[in-house]
Amino acid sequence: MNALYSLLAVLLLVLAGFAGGSTGAGRGILTFIVPYAAFAILLAGFCARILRWAWTPVPFHIPTTCGQQKSLPWIKPASVDNPSTRGAVLVRMAMEILLFRSLFRNNRARLAGKRLTLSENRYLWLGALAFHWSLLLIVLRHLRLFIEPIPAWVDGLERLDSFFQLGAPQLYLSDIVVLGALAYLLLRRFRDPAVRFISLFTDYFALFLLLGIAVSGVLMRYFVRVDILGIKQFALSLAAFHPLGPNMPSPLFFTHLVLVCALAAYFPFSKLMHMGGVFLSPTRNLANDSRRRRHINPWNHPVTKHTYAEWENEFRDKLVGAGIPLEGEDAGNAHTN
Amino acid sequence: MSADRAIVERWVERVLQSYPAQTLPFLRGEQDPFRNPVGHTLRESLTILAGELMGKMDRQRIAQALDAIIRMRAVQDFGPSDAVRFVFDLRTAIREWGGAVPDSLESRIDELALLAFDHYMGCREQIFALRINELRLKARYAASEEGETP
Amino acid sequence: MQETLIQIEPKPPRGDWRDPHVEFRKGSMCYSAAPKNLTYLGLPNPRVWQPTDSDWKLPPDWKKTILAGMKERLDKFRSFRLFMDVCVRCGACADKCHFYLGTADPKNMPVARAELIRSVYRRYFTLSGRIFGSLAGGRELTEDVIKEWYYYFYQCTQCRRCSVFCPYGIDTAEITLLGRELLTLIGCNINWVMEPVANCYRTGNHLGIQPHGFKDSIDFAADEASEITGLKIEMPINRKGAEILFVMPSADYFATPHYYTLLGYMMLFHEIGLDYTVSAYASEGGNFGSFASHELMKRLNAKIYDEAKRLGVKWILGGECGHMWRVLHQYMDTMNGPADFLEVPVSPVTGTVFENARSTRMVHICEFTADLIHHGKLRLDRGRNDHWNVTYHDSCNPARGMGLLEEPRYILNHVARRFHEMPENTIREQTFCCGSGAGLGTDENLEIRLRGGFPRANAVKYVKEKYGVNLLTCICAIDKATLPTLLEYWVPGVEVGGVHELVGNALVMTGEKERTTDLRGEALATESVLASGESEARHA
Repeated sequence: MNALYSLLAVLLLVLAGFAGGSTGAGRGILTFIVPYAAFAILLAGFCARILRWAWTPVPFHIPTTCGQQKSLPWIKPASVDNPSTRGAVLVRMAMEILLFRSLFRNNRARLAGKRLTLSENRYLWLGALAFHWSLLLIVLRHLRLFIEPIPAWVDGLERLDSFFQLGAPQLYLSDIVVLGALAYLLLRRFRDPAVRFISLFTDYFALFLLLGIAVSGVLMRYFVRVDILGIKQFALSLAAFHPLGPNMPSPLFFTHLVLVCALAAYFPFSKLMHMGGVFLSPTRNLANDSRRRRHINPWNHPVTKHTYAEWENEFRDKLVGAGIPLEGEDAGNAHTN
Repeated sequence: MSADRAIVERWVERVLQSYPAQTLPFLRGEQDPFRNPVGHTLRESLTILAGELMGKMDRQRIAQALDAIIRMRAVQDFGPSDAVRFVFDLRTAIREWGGAVPDSLESRIDELALLAFDHYMGCREQIFALRINELRLKARYAASEEGETP
Repeated sequence: MQETLIQIEPKPPRGDWRDPHVEFRKGSMCYSAAPKNLTYLGLPNPRVWQPTDSDWKLPPDWKKTILAGMKERLDKFRSFRLFMDVCVRCGACADKCHFYLGTADPKNMPVARAELIRSVYRRYFTLSGRIFGSLAGGRELTEDVIKEWYYYFYQCTQCRRCSVFCPYGIDTAEITLLGRELLTLIGCNINWVMEPVANCYRTGNHLGIQPHGFKDSIDFAADEASEITGLKIEMPINRKGAEILFVMPSADYFATPHYYTLLGYMMLFHEIGLDYTVSAYASEGGNFGSFASHELMKRLNAKIYDEAKRLGVKWILGGECGHMWRVLHQYMDTMNGPADFLEVPVSPVTGTVFENARSTRMVHICEFTADLIHHGKLRLDRGRNDHWNVTYHDSCNPARGMGLLEEPRYILNHVARRFHEMPENTIREQTFCCGSGAGLGTDENLEIRLRGGFPRANAVKYVKEKYGVNLLTCICAIDKATLPTLLEYWVPGVEVGGVHELVGNALVMTGEKERTTDLRGEALATESVLASGESEARHA
């Protein structure tokens, strides 16, 4: 049901883009208002969410340690999985963010019987990694539309991406990978009942939205001729805050544009914020040095305690009877009292 | 041989159906015995049981396999009948596969069901005994130390 | 099939996790906290009730209290806010929970457990949830939701195994602890948490043993240690001016098999001539408060530093305990520090400075003993443990909240000859919980415990069958209290013991009489077993 609703929502967006792109007034709104509104929401929302997290205190030092601590000098610590210095934390975070270390963790290759088995979870790691990296590559490649002259490194990325030089226009690997990975992530949500059980509308919505963006982009590049130069002009004008309508408007392009804007506007309100949140997770970004350096809790407040004096008062007779020394007495005296 | 295999597969599948649908692919698919102890124990024990029922009827092996599976189901969310029902699923599995259940096997399955019930009761009694034992220990510590609550 | 008289009851289709219905069944729930305990601690809504009642007698404004409590905690804990926001429901944690593996209840997937509270967060604290409600994954806060929280938050042992595998490090222990804090606000507690907390608060230990009883237990153990060794062994209590305050979980001095570990500590301290004391006031290291709220954690934990200050010791040594060490390692200094009245711990025997405890000034006994052994300060006869074939269970908190993995193994390898590890995905940071931690280790909850402990027991069974292991060692009081029951059910024939029990067995003490039994009074292995033990190479 969740999946159906979210598919409908995305289709609605597609229709909106298509319809908007086919009428003059719609084109106007889509050109002059929607992109700026969407990116304003993205920017403001993203910053607000990050600042909100960042301003919320981390009262306790709770890293999850995944290896040997640094204790005695002759015991080798697991310096990445159980970092004891800030540098090591950086390495741990980098492994987490760039390589999805934790997702990979459960997938230590294992020989079951005679053959190497890959568990479902390993595919999850692979799928997630493939999706995120190819998405990053695609976003960076799009910079060529917004910057003139095109920076050399963007060109370089592009050459890398079309390494196999197949077809004309040349096939980007990242396009294939991103579609494949998204399809896998979506199928996984449908197929695995445990994951389906926990999946919400928003989980499907994000996937369908991204899939819609990828598909419309791929259509434009490989199947439906669009005026790239016109689009570039439009993109440049957008970036220069002086938007001109694209010369040869294609409804498909507007669909792509609407979906991207929808994603941008939706981003700060969704789980997609994990992009920023992953940097702030207190179980990952703290060094395991809580006994070496005192962690300060900004709201550390006093609590009612059962003090030693109260305790001694309550049990005085029994303490004396048992010969346990009282405060201000020597051990020996207790017996004689 | 492969007929036995097919029957066991069907049997395992039927028994797995007694667990919540969401967990089935995991119980069914995860092969690591330590990551999936429930699925692993089910598969291993049912395989042994089927082998013995259709073969030599080694009491010792039957008792071990039966115990492993009953011990698990005795603490899971099953009533007594559901906990031992899996024995009869073998019959269904054989019929589903298209075979007939020979008379000798029929009586063996009945026998196994009775045995399963013995094991089930044994497990439940042990659980109660363990619980009483824990209670007794707790009471003893408290009593011997005049531990009183405020 | 027509012949079935009873209808096969298909498993209730958990179609949607938002359905908050739970069924409280004997054997799979914990009893509610007795009102006297809440009253003593000054906690809200003390009353007589049980989870099986249909009316939980919640305070009239319970909903407001919960929502205000959530708001407060969202503003105070980045962990809470972040973990509410960033989960992408990838499902990587699903099969990592021992309760999920043992119960096959989909709501025991860590992600689902967190969604129970996350759904309420979305409904009341996010823009999208307020507007779109259930479409944005929100859920109304109803009394049934509270019941469901109670059921599932007290069906989590806060072992943090899921957090190891989560790409964002979402820690279910943090979420359930805060969930339990919220439940505490409206008086929905379990007795096996609140009674020990009240007892610890009042007398200093979780069974409510009063000071003279405490002294009796300690003296009794000291007598027994003396008898075994033929030496005069004592354990001083509340002695001012000692160099070190020793704090252990209270189970060590009145429960078995913990008790043998206590004998081990005593013998070790006697042999190295440690200048130390224990305290009757701070006589509980295990922090039951940490199972209910940060506030109670702090109230109980405060005793340790206060007592160290009063006694004028230089530093603190801590015994074998799991949750205790999570609190000592990650919370104590922050909550009740700075410990500027103490000194940086230095081993009086080896001169080793414990740099890793430079600020908190509390050292784990395994770190301390490993250092002694490394410097050759102990004479150890490993043969005295030849009747044991040992494996080691990493207790959750020292493993995932600290990283104390090698020290106990180092000790075990020097005090026992036969040692075998369990499979690698069930030890170290991937260790399986005993299923009884965080206040769940009570008898009425036995069936849930047996389910939750199944993955652990399953790994023990493997090493028992493969290597003949007959002793599971661990460094956690809850493990020692609950694993014997667990193993008796799942893997009969494997005993449970502490690391320092084996140290006590192996320790050759100056002037001791010849030992014929171990600390349990069981006969030591004969020469022939010794020889066979020697030939058996260590597989670890």
